[in-house]
Amino acid sequence: MSFSDGHKFSEDSKQHLAQIIDNINAGIWEYNVTTKNIKWSVGFYTVLGYEPDEIECSNHTFFEHLLYHQDKPAFLSALNSQPSNSTKPLQIRLLTKTSGYHWFESTVKRYNDETGQIIYGVVININQYKQAQIQAAHNDLFYSEALKIAKLGSWELNALTMGLSLSKQFYDIYELQNHVKLSLDEVISFFEPPHRPVIKNAIDNALEYCQPYDLELLFRSAKNNVIWVRAKGIPIINDFGKCITVRGIIQDIDNKKRKNLALESSLNLLTDQNRRLQNFAYIVSHNLRSHAGNLQFMVKLHDETELPDDKAEILSHIKSISDSLSATIEHLNEIVQIQTEITNERTVVDFEAVFKNIISALKSNIDTLEATITYDFSKCPQIHYIPAYMESILQNLLTNALKYSSPERKPVIKCHTIKERNHIYLFFEDNGIGIDMERYGDKMFGMYKTFHQNPDAKGIGLFITRNQIEALGGTIKVDSTVNIGTKFTIRLV
Amino acid sequence: MGVCLIDDDQVYTFGFKKLINLRGLNSRVINFSDGNQAITWLTNPLNGHDLPDVIFLDINMPNMDGWDFMREFAEIKSQLGKKITIYMLSSSINLNDIYRAKKITDVADYIFKPINEYQLNAIFNGIKSEIGNQTFKNGTI
Repeated sequence: MSFSDGHKFSEDSKQHLAQIIDNINAGIWEYNVTTKNIKWSVGFYTVLGYEPDEIECSNHTFFEHLLYHQDKPAFLSALNSQPSNSTKPLQIRLLTKTSGYHWFESTVKRYNDETGQIIYGVVININQYKQAQIQAAHNDLFYSEALKIAKLGSWELNALTMGLSLSKQFYDIYELQNHVKLSLDEVISFFEPPHRPVIKNAIDNALEYCQPYDLELLFRSAKNNVIWVRAKGIPIINDFGKCITVRGIIQDIDNKKRKNLALESSLNLLTDQNRRLQNFAYIVSHNLRSHAGNLQFMVKLHDETELPDDKAEILSHIKSISDSLSATIEHLNEIVQIQTEITNERTVVDFEAVFKNIISALKSNIDTLEATITYDFSKCPQIHYIPAYMESILQNLLTNALKYSSPERKPVIKCHTIKERNHIYLFFEDNGIGIDMERYGDKMFGMYKTFHQNPDAKGIGLFITRNQIEALGGTIKVDSTVNIGTKFTIRLV
Repeated sequence: MGVCLIDDDQVYTFGFKKLINLRGLNSRVINFSDGNQAITWLTNPLNGHDLPDVIFLDINMPNMDGWDFMREFAEIKSQLGKKITIYMLSSSINLNDIYRAKKITDVADYIFKPINEYQLNAIFNGIKSEIGNQTFKNGTI
């Protein structure tokens, strides 16, 4: 049986067609512009949940009761649009009998017959599809917002073609405006040079040995912002256990990582400070105890000795203990002062001015030894520091260099500063007798540690210097070769 | 009896010698101001007959401290041909120092400075009886 004969339906098939149409969950409406006559098919009522003729078939019913008020302008404009315009199906909301507004799609077509212009359309319920679409759009927004908030970009690497698919957020982290296609090498090139081999290696291992990775690396974006990122990747394998895809994320963890690093460094500082404090407590107890013990010892011997000569000798020792005791207390005082002075105001300190002052204060020493002192502060002439500390540091280093100069050659002492990134370094170098680093390296900055037979050696200068430098968050390192010289590298800030 | 004191503290060295003298402990005392000098002297074959019976060793000294001395001593003791008892002496009440000293087998004990005469007497008596035993053994062999 054929439905059509050309484009004309036979009377029988027309009936049949109407039956079919009524059964396919679609409604047909027709509106005669000239006569204002309106017709709804059975299906029209059915899709809305009504029995035929349960509601009045009228313009008023449609516009005032069925059509959602916000969709009215769109529908009207479709009705009034030029006939030549092939209008797309409209998506409108219509009030159903029992389940509220549903989404429908309606075509809007027109033709003319003898009674005038007729506009008609087919209405289908698309509520489920529309709901799913809205939900999907919502989910998309939800996920992309979540990824944006998490600063998380995702990517996928095809092991076969080595082609990369990158998410929008991935480009956001890279701070690339255009979503240009990037090769793996290009993606890796955004990592900081020392970290490039790390990430490259991790991806190679994922491809070849199916090893997942999770790294925290330094990264430089297209806008030159250096941030910490977390790069995580997992291999996807085929049935033969071969990696076919590497899927991964890149996440901006800069804030957290920097806080972590700051925390770590303050923990190190605290541990260091704690160790120094404990050390200090031992030093105090040891030094005071040894003097006190000696004093007690001498007084006892003094009581027991009868010979006047012996008594006089013991007394001279008691005097020397008394001197040492005050010297020790003076030293301890100096060390305690470092901690109290730390709150002193920092000001701009001029290296050259301070160093020149110290040189002139030690002039007689320098002249006697015929020492040559050169300095170059041009690369970093000034520093924000506690002036008293800077004077003390430079004075101790210079005194030290002069004290341990080699008798075999005239002392040559060099001092210079540089600025590197956020740090200021001070280098202090001499050609003195040097020190056996292997034997004494770790003890050099200890209190009352002396390594030479020099009677002037008190083992306090470098201890104080180190304490001052570390109190302001710096570090001091020493490198020395016996009979060649000593070089101090100090990171001041 | 031969006594050796290794300590850089001049006052303590003086007092130590004086105390032994005053108590009439009848000992020869030799002293060095750091470990290095002591090792040099001990290993000199010319001093073979004058080796001490007991060494009192300070910990904190320049050049070669007490710990370094003990390391060196462990290597040379077999060549010395005489048993030498070593006491470590220090004003340090650092527990780490005490434990560290107790772990060294060649160290007989750790003594806080200043040493008192009772401790000194006890140490001397102990060593004297040990020397006596050795002579007795030597005599019977």
